Amino acid sequence: MDLATIEKVVAFVGALIVFAFALVGLRGEWPKNGLDDNVTKVLLGLMAFGCVLVVLACFGVLPHGGGGA
Amino acid sequence: MAVSVATHGHDAHDDHGGHDDDIIYQETRDMRLMGFVLFLVSDVVLFSSYIFAYIYLRNSIQPNWPPIVDGHQLPRLDTAFAAFNSVVLFGSGVTMHYALESWKHANKGRFNLFMWLTIFLGLDFLGGQGYEYAHAQIGGWSGNIFGASFFTLTGMHGIHVFLGVCFLFALWLQTQRGVYTEHRFFGLTAGTLYWHFVDVIWVVLFFLFYLW
Amino acid sequence: MATVAPGVPTGPYHAVLDHIHPEPTSFIRKYVFSIDAKVIGIQYMITGGIFFVIAGLLAEIIRTQLLSPHGAILSAATYNSVYSMHGSAMVWFVVIPLLTGAFGNFVMPMQIGARDVAFPWLNLVAFWIFPVAGVILFSSFLVGAPDAGWTEYPPISLQGPPGTNLWCIAVFLIGISSTMTGINFLVTIYKMRAPGMTFTRMPLFVWAQFATTPLLFIATTALGAALAALFIERVFGVPFYDPKRGGSPVLWQHMFWFYSHPAVYIMIIPGFGIISEVLPTFARKPIFGYKMIAFSSVAISLLSFSVWAHHMFTSGMVPWLQLPFMIITMVIAIPTGVKIFSWMATLWGGSINWKTPLLYATGFLITFTYGGLTGFFLAAVPLDYHEHGTYFVVAHFHYVLYGGSIMSLFAGIYYWWPKMTGRMYNEKLGQLQFWLTFIGFNATFTPMHWLGLLGMPRRVATYDPQFQFWNQFASISSYVMALGTVLFFYILFDSIRNGKKSGPNPWGARTLEWMVSSPPPYYNFKKIPAVLAAPYDFGNPLPYLGLEAAPGATEATPTSASHPVPTY
Ligand code: HEM
Ligand SMILES: [Cu+2]
Repeated sequence: MDLATIEKVVAFVGALIVFAFALVGLRGEWPKNGLDDNVTKVLLGLMAFGCVLVVLACFGVLPHGGGGA
Repeated sequence: MAVSVATHGHDAHDDHGGHDDDIIYQETRDMRLMGFVLFLVSDVVLFSSYIFAYIYLRNSIQPNWPPIVDGHQLPRLDTAFAAFNSVVLFGSGVTMHYALESWKHANKGRFNLFMWLTIFLGLDFLGGQGYEYAHAQIGGWSGNIFGASFFTLTGMHGIHVFLGVCFLFALWLQTQRGVYTEHRFFGLTAGTLYWHFVDVIWVVLFFLFYLW
Repeated sequence: MATVAPGVPTGPYHAVLDHIHPEPTSFIRKYVFSIDAKVIGIQYMITGGIFFVIAGLLAEIIRTQLLSPHGAILSAATYNSVYSMHGSAMVWFVVIPLLTGAFGNFVMPMQIGARDVAFPWLNLVAFWIFPVAGVILFSSFLVGAPDAGWTEYPPISLQGPPGTNLWCIAVFLIGISSTMTGINFLVTIYKMRAPGMTFTRMPLFVWAQFATTPLLFIATTALGAALAALFIERVFGVPFYDPKRGGSPVLWQHMFWFYSHPAVYIMIIPGFGIISEVLPTFARKPIFGYKMIAFSSVAISLLSFSVWAHHMFTSGMVPWLQLPFMIITMVIAIPTGVKIFSWMATLWGGSINWKTPLLYATGFLITFTYGGLTGFFLAAVPLDYHEHGTYFVVAHFHYVLYGGSIMSLFAGIYYWWPKMTGRMYNEKLGQLQFWLTFIGFNATFTPMHWLGLLGMPRRVATYDPQFQFWNQFASISSYVMALGTVLFFYILFDSIRNGKKSGPNPWGARTLEWMVSSPPPYYNFKKIPAVLAAPYDFGNPLPYLGLEAAPGATEATPTSASHPVPTY
């Protein structure tokens, strides 16, 4: 396994964990309604989306035509 | 003591005791929170401006991206490493969230754990950025428009992360000195929002520079 | 605590309104590093006034140069620096700080019945950036002042003298100051209104400041980004704008105008606010179309983010974008027109009291409308092809900026001068000053429309001899304006020394700042009043409760004057 593959595997596993915890956090935030809570909802959601991007990158779906070193 | 603003009628104004103190705290806290969120909004505009510049410059030489400099095609950036580094940063966002939650639930031990995890992951990300900078073969900051937009945007983000780490460390010191209580911890709220904001900026940068 | 009658809606934020920092006693904390919004407002006014004089002198140098087609006094290079510095100073160091920092700080908190702004310390910092940035700006004359106009288009600005770097720093700093002020004001207006002051009971000047805030903290940041990139490119050679290295000069234009078009509304919306206060007071009539005026400010503010490219019709942008930009630009004229007609209707049938502030307000109506019309011409793409880069544009923006913003500033200063100082100015001299300014202004700038249509380019140190007559006419008229300005400062000094005591409310106005003594006490209101209606119903009783502590009344110190506010 070359370095890039190791990085991708770690990234993939990490992304799954972070995604899961982000969603759990999001669920905890959901019923709250302060300004800070609402902003947190948006930001946590986007972070979860970031994890999705990471997964896509790990499988070479993005960038088109495959990036990576 | 713990009268919440919502249940408080204006007759309680005649009372100069603990009530008022709590209400004033709550009101100034709301104002500071609003001010802080507006500051974040204006910071978003700062990043958006450079993101606009990047997209604009990139479009101006489509479809050759990365650009061709002195006759040879610049390589793409290292997506695999960036994916790894991104997870580090997103992870720190989540740990920060749990740090704040622990504080709200008065769980000091867990708070300390998550806080330090966040700071550690933040530093790890910065180290990764340094590694990335050392390995990016795109002609440096002032070489061409790719380097210019990449290093300016990620550099600015890096500065934000660095300041964020300092911010979090300062917050942690304050918690050790007993500045915050279970009910009054606006600094921690602000620090968390700032840290989330920095993470989310990275989501966009990660997509724009590595996945597009 | 605020006295609140039964049935009066109470805003959720009372307790904090009662808080005020203890009054400082040392000179430094009272007048230099003060956190009192009123003092800061006056500090802005003095600093802005000094910059106004400097930038005005630069303007007179420009006009003197243009007395002769071959350039009367300066080399072409120096001339470039002079007009660049004139424009930069007037926009960022005179009009914006005066309209937001000065009047916003002095008037707005009182008008909403607050004792200070939301973040007094931030206010202090924002103010002190201003003189520092101004000194940096003007010190660029020592190393070679910027010479590419106030818009500093690359690639010329990339080759500009070293002072261009100082220009970047100075404008960046003043931008940070604006951002702080914008955030501060928005939170103040949103959270600190007196009980009962709903949004539709706010004075129109407050509405104007409210509508300006997003421009301040959103658009200004974009300018900061553009400036930082220009600085980085000049100092570190990082390519953003240099076409030789793959960059794009048009990129700068986009980033610059994304700020600077909203910025022209930063420079006029607060002026609208001042006019909306002055007109009903001196016509002794309710303002016509209160909600229209209020909401149109917000509409203008939001729309102004989407028209920036009307400055770039000739810059080689994508042709299909020209039409939408042209149309949206013209659409902005609608809310502006709504205001103009509401103001005219306010005057209509009023018992008009021709005092200097009202003279300026009507002068504003005339000249600003005129400038809006020429803006409409410029927004039409085919016409703009002809007029862009000519004196027609110079005429347009001086009509809106001098005839609009500066006239509203004059109106505001005369109007609130008694409130600030407790003294009246000399009314006769004030009116004379108005006429000198009004006539001098129109005689200076009207000919520029013709010169522009005939094709005289702006920003050039010499010109074709056929344009000489109107240029000399403009230059000589500009001296009349200058005379008016000198007289203005004389009037202020005279008022401070010899002015009659004004009493709390010399104009019989109805907004809250007139309900306290002149100059206002440190804490503004002994009791935070409750508000029952919008302030403009002349003829009806004042819509405030709990004002027993108003002028002349003796009452104890403000409630909880030194209430400790927990900070964490
Ligand atoms: C009805 C409203 C307005 C319209 C339709 C309008 C339209 C325009 C257009 C199309 C231009 C570009 C001309 C060119 O360079 O070819 C322009 C320039 C300008 N306008 Fe306006 N304008 C309006 C109101 C204002 C106001 C209220 C202000 C400021 C208080 C203002 C300040 C300026 C300035 C400073 C420039 C020139 C910038 C430069 O090139 O140096 N305008 N306007
Ligand atoms: Cu414009």
